[in-house]
Amino acid sequence: MQNKPFLSPADVARELGISASTVLRLIHAGDLPAIAISARIYRIPAASFELFKAGRIRQPEMAPLGGVKPRPQIGRDELLPVAPKRPLARAR
Amino acid sequence: MATKVELRQYIGTLSAILWNYGASFPVPTLDAYSDGEVGFAITAELSGAADPRPAVLELTETWAPEGRGQYRRVEYAYEFVEFPLGRRRAFHRHDPDYFAREFGVVVHEHCEERIGQPACSHYYGLPIDAYEAIRRFLSAWGQPTLLGCSELRCMDQAA
Repeated sequence: MQNKPFLSPADVARELGISASTVLRLIHAGDLPAIAISARIYRIPAASFELFKAGRIRQPEMAPLGGVKPRPQIGRDELLPVAPKRPLARAR
Repeated sequence: MATKVELRQYIGTLSAILWNYGASFPVPTLDAYSDGEVGFAITAELSGAADPRPAVLELTETWAPEGRGQYRRVEYAYEFVEFPLGRRRAFHRHDPDYFAREFGVVVHEHCEERIGQPACSHYYGLPIDAYEAIRRFLSAWGQPTLLGCSELRCMDQAA
């Protein structure tokens, strides 16, 4: 398990000595971070599991105010796409 | 619409989510820009495979003042570059006037099954927030399946 980047609920259940359904309850309660691969399949990042075991899962805190900074240049390195040409309206 | 306090709470929640997935990043702040707008930029490295470098998740938003202490989100870029699997996914809102005039939409997406070799430069998409972006990025993270770029609708005439 040490080198696996993602764990299944069954992996976590084995490691903690609890049932897989309890693991799913922890996931659904938001206590154990997990990734929904599909509607019914979850994977737990190994890093998240380590934080969980160590009791280091964080609750949200208000972010600090930063100083005045340059505005991010969002999308400035992108070439804008070209729209298809619209057919000209036929003259009557 | 949001106040500065609400934006700081929003950033704090995003920060906690990323931390709890084992991401590494500097403490994010709500920054002020010289034109009166505010915003934030988070660049987080994900844990796990790190060859040639770790996967990177970036969240950038700009909010413009609307009066009465309220701000409206005007631009965003949510980026996920998964270097170990050599692919990229992104959700953008920028140059809204151009996109609205040319395509009738204000947001777009990027999708590259192989970084640097997109089948299309811009794809149609729907507006999302950073929570949804994180959810979508992480659902793809480390998975051997394709991102699904071929299922998206291309904007670019040249593609």
